[in-house]
Amino acid sequence: MHHALHIKNGIVIDPKNGVKAEKMDIFVKDGKIVEESEVKGEDVKVIDASNKLVVAGGVDMHAHIAGSKINTGRTMRPEEMRVVRNIANKFRAAVGRVLLTSPAIGYEYAKMGYTSSFEAAQPPIGAMHSHEELDAIPMIDKAALPVFGNWHFVFKYVEAKDIEKLKTFIAWALERTKGFGVKVVNPGGVEAWMYGGNVTSLDDQVPGFNVTPREIITSLIKAVEELKLNHSVHIHCNRLGVPGNYETTIETIKLAGGFSNDARQVLHVTHVQFNAYAGDSWRTVSSGAEEIAKTVNSMDNVTIDMGQPIFGHATAMTGDAPFQFTLHKLTGARWSNKDSEVEGGAGIVPLVYLPKNPVHALQWAIGLELGLLIDSDKVVLTTDYPNGGPFTEYPYVMAMLMSKKMREGELEKVSPFVQKATNLPAIDTEKTLEEIIHMTRSLPARILGLPQKGHLGVGADADIAIYDLNPLEIDTSNDFEKVYKTFKTAEYTIKSGRILAKNGELVDEYWGKTYWVDATGRVDMEAIKPDIEDYFKYYSVELQNYGVEEGWLKKPERIVI
Amino acid sequence: MIIIKPKTEFVVTVEAELTPDLAEKDVEEIKKFKVYYGKDVVELEELFEVTKEGDDKKLVLDGDFSRVKWIGCRMSDGEIVVKGNVGANCGAYMAGGKIVIEGDADDWLGAEMKDGEIVVKGNAANLVGCAYYGEATGMSGGKITIEGNAGNYIGEKMAGGEIEIKGNAGDFIGTEMKGGAITIHGNCGFVGGDMKAGEIKIGGDFELVPTFVKQEDAWVGDVNVKGEGVVRRL
Ligand SMILES: [Zn+2]
Repeated sequence: MHHALHIKNGIVIDPKNGVKAEKMDIFVKDGKIVEESEVKGEDVKVIDASNKLVVAGGVDMHAHIAGSKINTGRTMRPEEMRVVRNIANKFRAAVGRVLLTSPAIGYEYAKMGYTSSFEAAQPPIGAMHSHEELDAIPMIDKAALPVFGNWHFVFKYVEAKDIEKLKTFIAWALERTKGFGVKVVNPGGVEAWMYGGNVTSLDDQVPGFNVTPREIITSLIKAVEELKLNHSVHIHCNRLGVPGNYETTIETIKLAGGFSNDARQVLHVTHVQFNAYAGDSWRTVSSGAEEIAKTVNSMDNVTIDMGQPIFGHATAMTGDAPFQFTLHKLTGARWSNKDSEVEGGAGIVPLVYLPKNPVHALQWAIGLELGLLIDSDKVVLTTDYPNGGPFTEYPYVMAMLMSKKMREGELEKVSPFVQKATNLPAIDTEKTLEEIIHMTRSLPARILGLPQKGHLGVGADADIAIYDLNPLEIDTSNDFEKVYKTFKTAEYTIKSGRILAKNGELVDEYWGKTYWVDATGRVDMEAIKPDIEDYFKYYSVELQNYGVEEGWLKKPERIVI
Repeated sequence: MIIIKPKTEFVVTVEAELTPDLAEKDVEEIKKFKVYYGKDVVELEELFEVTKEGDDKKLVLDGDFSRVKWIGCRMSDGEIVVKGNVGANCGAYMAGGKIVIEGDADDWLGAEMKDGEIVVKGNAANLVGCAYYGEATGMSGGKITIEGNAGNYIGEKMAGGEIEIKGNAGDFIGTEMKGGAITIHGNCGFVGGDMKAGEIKIGGDFELVPTFVKQEDAWVGDVNVKGEGVVRRL
């Protein structure tokens, strides 16, 4: 095998390093991007990338790829498991329509030129399961974000206004779950669900605790910023999927106001499409995207991702258990509820997005509005897989954001409701190819706090995608079909310097790293020991049996803070 | 016409999506048709004798096919005659043409079938004309006739077409049915659970779920799902 690669004559777009469609060569050695001089005398494999686009591998910062939710989804949806993607041969058997098996997830990302993906809602008590599944996903680097927003420990320290102990607890929890960062799902709302309810504003009191969603969010931001974790608080807002929720989303975004960080945002608001509805019922519902975009654009410490719905099959699976029940009641589809003891819960409901359904068309339009109206330096392209649909349709979203003409064609196929309920038809913005590359590579890497990802500068991980598209010649406004088709299948996907896929064919199997963040050195773990021992009276497992040891992971990558 | 005869008794099941389209191919090509024998992919001639007589679009399956699954799957025209018993999933997703089974049929006969005709001279097992697990719609067109008896789950989530059973049937007839017609000449067990639409006619004894409303000459339900399905005596 070659240790070194020379990617020759490619047209490179590398937003982080200010490279805008320039013809240049990229050199790779031992899984990293290096200077030309470093590969002298090496056995170098040369890849001719003449007139082809060379970019960093895609980074999916928010998808549901491992853990009990997705596995329950697979169990309750046998009909999703009838599409055979690969018969066991040199590679693993891989099946799935939109809900994919673990190997299929890795393979499909690799075919598309994506090389990292982050599981965005990890129930802490299910950490072992999540890591077993992450370890079954080949090809990509990965990590998991444990959920903190309904954990009784968090309520306790927020109630006591004890930020030091909250920080210590976060460090303890990340170490025990081998987690990467702090995810918050409907803070307080899932605890209310334990009594059959939900919260309806940032200032509702959480049942049984003297805390509000507002206090939970601000305390967690403060703790994460003081700990200086790689990634900021990553929030799924309250009131998801409810008409009128855009106001709550804006209020939540503004909670970031008092904080700052030189390297990144202090709050990432996820799948905002599901939290961007104006109106007060499904009859009067309309888009709240413009107001949200104004708020995000006016702040320099908040980022979002789209949560773009894709027409066709999807499976709603979130840690927002009360929302999942509402959705089940709304559609009549199958429903499964998950309980993670004193940590929160989750739910799963199958879904189909239909273009002629006014609400679905509205959701589709709102996702695009957010992608178009928000600065390209603050919005990441996601479908909240599999909630909005398959990640394999990212190229559709990329092409749509770059072409008004494509959007006009698509608008003709959807419910006319979007014409009055959104401003999408009037938006002329067409993102540039460079902006799209940023929104799918360098921006998510920056948001996650991973300096070695999402770019092609010397020292970066050699995660590279080559597409058969000449950025100097392509007319992204008019050639949207070519753009879509090209980004579906990379000509080469290179992960840590190894060629994994070529023109949609898998050529090599690779097991990526699992990142986790160790902040235990910044806190006094003894300080919370009695509390933890006390609270484990309420768990179904003993404290000594809780958590995941590093040695159990296939390829752990500890990031010490 | 193609005549296919098993060469041996099969130790594990065979999965062979044999359709009348095969009859249009050259016999050497047919012999190379890929089928699964357990987990192994093999050529048709490894397991079966294949002969060709004339050009009509017809398959004659001569012998015991009770361990051969997926016969006639997705076929759209032509004819298949099975001289003996047939394995599971026969006529699944079928869109046209005709299958005649002279012996018995196993589970999932005509599952999710859209059109065409299936006649079973013997008995059929469970899940006739049903939806595969997780799917919303079972049989949506065509006709299945069973001269003998049938097992449990008949026409689950059926949306169109017709199932006729000349003998008796088991439990769960027309569960979640939303269209089409089921006729059972003999006796059967529970009928109509969560039925939304369509018609079930029964000649013998049966048990109706209690959520049907008696009308002059029929029962209408299932009221649990605001259904307007009709169950009546033949
Ligand atoms: Zn999500």
